[in-house]
Amino acid sequence: MGDPVTDYTARLQQQEREIQSLSAEIESLKNPQDLSSSPRLDELREENAKLKYRLNILKRSLQEERTYCSKSMMNINQRLQEVFGEAIRASCPELDNPPLAVTPNQQAKFGDYQCNSAMAMAQMLKAKGIKVNPREIAEKIVQNLPDNELTQKTEIAGPGFINIHLKRSFVSKLLSNLLINGVQPPPLASKKRVVVDFSSPNIAKEMHVGHLRSTIIGESMSRLFEFLGHDVLRLNHVGDWGTQFGMLIAHLQDKFPDYLTVSPPISDLQAFYKESKKRFDEEEDFKKRAYQCVVRLQSKEPDFIKAWNLICDVSRREFQKVYDCLDIQIIERGESFYQEMMTEVVKEFEEKGLLQLDEGRKVVFVPGQPIPLTVVKSDGGYTYDTSDLAAIRQRIFDEKADVIIYVTDSGQGTHFQVVFAAAQMIGWYDPQVTRVEHAGFGVVLGEDKKKFKTRSGDTVRLMDLLEEGLKRSMDKLKEKERDKVLSQEELIKAQRSVAFGCIKYADLSHNRINDYVFSFDKMLDDRGNTAAYLLYAFTRIRSIARLANIDEATLRKAAETTEVILDHDKEWKLGKCILRFPEILQKILDDLLLHTLCDYLYELATTFTEFYDSCYCVEKDRQTGEVVKVNMWRMLLCEATAAVMAKGFDILGINPVQRM
Amino acid sequence: MADTLTLFTSIGLSEQKAKETMKNEALSSALKEAVTQAQRVHGASGVDKAMGTLLYNMASRLKDAKRLAFLADSIVQRKICTELQLAAALDFVKSHPQDPINQKEFEEACGVGVVITPEQIEDAVESVIKKHKEQLLKERYHFNMGLLMGEARSALKWADGKVIKNEVDMQVLHLLGPKTEADLEKKPKPQKAKVTENEVKAKKEEVAVNGEVSTGEVKSLMEQLRGEALKFHKPGENFKTEGYVVTPNTMSLLKKHLDLTGGQIRTRFPPEPNGILHIGHAKAINFNFGYAKANNGICFLRYDDTNPEKEEEKYFTAIKDMVEWLGYKPYAVTHASDNFQQLYDLAVDLIRRGHAYVCHQRGEELKGHNAPPSPWRDRPIEESLVLFERMKKGLFAEGEATLRMKMVMEDGKMDPVAYRIKYTPHHRTGDEWCIYPTYDYTHCLCDSIENITHSLCTKEFQARRSSYYWLCNALDVYCPVQWEYGRLNLTYTVVSKRKIIKLVETGVVRDWDDPRLFTLTALRRRGFPPEAINNFCARVGVTVSQTTTEPHLLESCVRDVLNDTAPRAMAVLEPLKVTITNLPEDSQSDVRVPDFPANEAKGSHMVPFTCTIFIEQSDFREVMEKGYKRLTPEQPVGLRHAGYVISVQKVIKDAQGNVVELEVNCCRSETAEKPKAFIHWVSKPLTCEVRLYERLFLHKHPEDPSEVPNGFLSDINPNSLQVISSALVDTSVKGAKVFDKFQFERVGYFSLDPDSTADKLIFNRTVTLKEDPGKI
Repeated sequence: MGDPVTDYTARLQQQEREIQSLSAEIESLKNPQDLSSSPRLDELREENAKLKYRLNILKRSLQEERTYCSKSMMNINQRLQEVFGEAIRASCPELDNPPLAVTPNQQAKFGDYQCNSAMAMAQMLKAKGIKVNPREIAEKIVQNLPDNELTQKTEIAGPGFINIHLKRSFVSKLLSNLLINGVQPPPLASKKRVVVDFSSPNIAKEMHVGHLRSTIIGESMSRLFEFLGHDVLRLNHVGDWGTQFGMLIAHLQDKFPDYLTVSPPISDLQAFYKESKKRFDEEEDFKKRAYQCVVRLQSKEPDFIKAWNLICDVSRREFQKVYDCLDIQIIERGESFYQEMMTEVVKEFEEKGLLQLDEGRKVVFVPGQPIPLTVVKSDGGYTYDTSDLAAIRQRIFDEKADVIIYVTDSGQGTHFQVVFAAAQMIGWYDPQVTRVEHAGFGVVLGEDKKKFKTRSGDTVRLMDLLEEGLKRSMDKLKEKERDKVLSQEELIKAQRSVAFGCIKYADLSHNRINDYVFSFDKMLDDRGNTAAYLLYAFTRIRSIARLANIDEATLRKAAETTEVILDHDKEWKLGKCILRFPEILQKILDDLLLHTLCDYLYELATTFTEFYDSCYCVEKDRQTGEVVKVNMWRMLLCEATAAVMAKGFDILGINPVQRM
Repeated sequence: MADTLTLFTSIGLSEQKAKETMKNEALSSALKEAVTQAQRVHGASGVDKAMGTLLYNMASRLKDAKRLAFLADSIVQRKICTELQLAAALDFVKSHPQDPINQKEFEEACGVGVVITPEQIEDAVESVIKKHKEQLLKERYHFNMGLLMGEARSALKWADGKVIKNEVDMQVLHLLGPKTEADLEKKPKPQKAKVTENEVKAKKEEVAVNGEVSTGEVKSLMEQLRGEALKFHKPGENFKTEGYVVTPNTMSLLKKHLDLTGGQIRTRFPPEPNGILHIGHAKAINFNFGYAKANNGICFLRYDDTNPEKEEEKYFTAIKDMVEWLGYKPYAVTHASDNFQQLYDLAVDLIRRGHAYVCHQRGEELKGHNAPPSPWRDRPIEESLVLFERMKKGLFAEGEATLRMKMVMEDGKMDPVAYRIKYTPHHRTGDEWCIYPTYDYTHCLCDSIENITHSLCTKEFQARRSSYYWLCNALDVYCPVQWEYGRLNLTYTVVSKRKIIKLVETGVVRDWDDPRLFTLTALRRRGFPPEAINNFCARVGVTVSQTTTEPHLLESCVRDVLNDTAPRAMAVLEPLKVTITNLPEDSQSDVRVPDFPANEAKGSHMVPFTCTIFIEQSDFREVMEKGYKRLTPEQPVGLRHAGYVISVQKVIKDAQGNVVELEVNCCRSETAEKPKAFIHWVSKPLTCEVRLYERLFLHKHPEDPSEVPNGFLSDINPNSLQVISSALVDTSVKGAKVFDKFQFERVGYFSLDPDSTADKLIFNRTVTLKEDPGKI
């Protein structure tokens, strides 16, 4: 091939040609007269037009699917956010991540929702050196609003608020869907495996009010996740392992030598524990034996395992009483479950070089965390840190959890932060993918705002508390002379419903992060944001249809044939309030604050009262009391309200009754 | 082969006839079946000639093969013995397409078992002859004996015609005796007097009076009805049409259809709104609207707007304009797109019924003759339903999926497409749809939805008739009758949209309505009256076969109408100034010119006459030539309407020797010797532009590569347009409106062009006065 001159000449010629074609193109670009588009450009334009057309069709199909085809409830707020998000991006393409704020409007005269992004966007633009009046931005956003199924009109108010009015027909249609399909969760993007770790009392110790909070909150969270369609694993991480079991077993062996054949009649494990503890502290021999027992238990000697199980069973029976009262579903998987795994966890940290020796302990320092985790004590034993690491690892890898939530008191917050950070550090999970969270809560205070104790200063036994609740509830019912109206069976049902419902609701209706004051008087008050009020309101709504002699079949039929009219202000307000349910749930899903749901239910009940006070559902003859006219669409509104309330109660773990 | 031949000759067919029959496969197999059936009863040689003939006639005339056995049996059983009964039997099965046949009704209708005795015939003939005795005696054998036969026959429905004839002959002979010589003489024809020229004129005028729009239309309808359309089925009797497919639901659907329409004829003109109408469409408009009108029916104007890519708003209004221009008012203007939702629902139904499926073959795979069958043909119904919905929702790209119907078309095309994806907005439904139905799917269903009785279309659609019937029946909806007629083709022109665009683009013609084209707007601009176009369509008639017609037939229709409707005016295209020397220079008189010289009662107008007039250059010759009757230096000529005869005094020429002016003497025509000819003239005229048109193409078939090898663009007649910018027209045309038509005497028919301004009128020559303008 050789002749370099020929090669270079050829290359030069090639380059010459390229230069020519490029300069020709530059010329043609410079020449403004030649604006006739190239065929290629036409083709691309046409393709672009077609793609836009298709996009529009697809969007509409999606909308239709959302609104009409699927049974799930629509999250109106989220849908508005999508609509406004699009408009915001289109009106301010220069902002990378423009803020998106759409909230329900508090005052009806300002519309139903409002979008407040314009002000924040103006701030962001200002930071970039662009001065724009937020009102102008708001106008731009409004102009860029895509065609959609839900907004009737928008108005710009004040410095740049965009007030959004929903279409009545749209709201009406959603209500009909709700009535026909029942209260269904919003569409599920992906079904997740959720582990909720809650309750978690210690074997051989009393459950106290702290455990009560964990149990109530954990149960409710689990129910929420389940309602939304996720796969929930409720785990009771009981304290069933540790040195105290050596002491207990040693004492058991002494007191009931035939425990292997005859089940020991321990009724008061608390007292049993105290006895053994006393001996452990005072008798050196006993102490020695206790340690031996621990070793033998850990080496899984059958007799010791049997003894351990006997002790655990006593506790379990006690716990179950509480769970039965409160209608709690949970799987016990205590610390013992993770014993074998702890060795591996330590090994893994060691292999990855993440372990440090500190005065005979093996510790893990996690960057950014103030205290290290102690994974092996100087005596070679494991700690809570170790078992929690083993647990999180098992939950991620064996349970394939996408979400892990620990419901414990806030005091354990720091501990869990370190555990989570260590798990991330070693690469067990990526917080972008797996959500691991500690849902902490404040302590329960007595009415004196001090730690909740009995008058004698002891911790309050949970069962005693529940018993008292039942008693108080019955007093209340009798005070209202309900015992004269209800049958004995109905009365007992109402009593339990009110008692346990109130205890749970009082807990859930407060922001869990704060401490809360436990007061039977307050929680049983049937005025204000209490379960008592809501339960009464609910039974009243349920009774409206019953008193108008409308059966469920008629209502179901009407749901399909009768349009829900929303002309009256109170109808409109109630209709929108009902439909906010999905966005409330969505919010809780994000922040795990269940009091939002309680607040919503309270708002729904009061909104309903407003509606009921000004809109006749059933018109009766004043003299005879005969039903003259039934405004069916209003009956449907009652029905929808009741349906949403019932679902809300269900998530809170409250059992409403038909009559009370 | 030989067996069949023997079989056929055994029933009395001549060998030649038998061989001929065998060439027709369908007939041959039907006959074979019938004969075999007969022989089973009567033995191999027991089928006599009479029965054989009946079997043959039955086999050759029966349309519905499933009745063959039934009719053959009736013949074999000797229930059907005469030609008459056979005709009745064939008629009966035709009007009772559904099982079961009511035997009793059938036999009653066919006169089975009715025995006519010779006495009955005798009596019947006798009473008929008695009735006409007087006339018979007077006219003797010139009397129309057929009348007697006919009456006798109607009295005795099932009697043998031959026997009746014999009886009539005998009784007439008995009455009148043998024929005399006078009887043998030919009946004198009514004397046709030789008509004088005046009478001819008078006759023409009569035509002229009758030639008004309304009568013209009636004539056209009558003429159409003489054609194939006369055989059309009555509403509700769709099944009587050959090839119509009868299903178990047909009768109840037809009943519903009748209840809805009340037996009204319903037609439609269904253009695709993607182009300009041309003369071919005029026929469709004329036929559809005309047939409905002639039968007190209704006709829809339906835009077949299923292809959003090709449609433009302007075409919609243009089409409606043209329909109205042709003088028709649609009962309703509808759009295929009005039915998009219903069509979609029907498509879903079609899938549910297992007659359609979603296919993913690419367009290019389906082109050509032997396209591979779709591998998705047998996919589950549920799957197709889901996929079809996804098509609608935009989940497929264009071309990724189609909905196809499970059906083979006449031309062997498998599974035509019913729906395709197009991400294109529709001018009426906007962005609502991204799947659009095809012609094959839409057309028949829209016809069905509109309860059309006669779906008239051109021959090209014959291949789609079976799919038309198939789809209606697959969905169990009312099925109209499709009837195809031959397209109207004109020579010396092209009508396809693509080609006209070429002509416009290359500047050969000015626009879509250039008067040399045969689009309807062009014809209107050229001055063709709509009545003439309707008459032309009627004259061409509606036939099954393709017709190619020369434009001069159309032009002659135009002349017929314009002769009676275009007022006369005088125009000089190539003027020669003439000064009359023996009139005072400032003299001016007004000359009355009748608008229609043949019928002066229709009005007149005045034109000025002064000493300066203009005549056509061609109306003067310096050198006399034999046979030339107009002005020469030696030969005077008369001026039409003026009452003067002029004779040349002086010929004035320019430097090149061209004649530029004449000086003449005039005298009153009463005093002068009668001139050999009268010529037209103008005085104090308007200067107008005149556009003369000739055929656009040189060859008859400009699109035919054997005639015009270089394509139609190479065949343009260079003289197709001649513009005379300063023709002189008499003042009577002043104030004419666009499309007003005139006859410029001795020159041609002209129509005012829309390009005209107040200052300058522009006339298009519509047609010349005579077919061949070649006369000098």
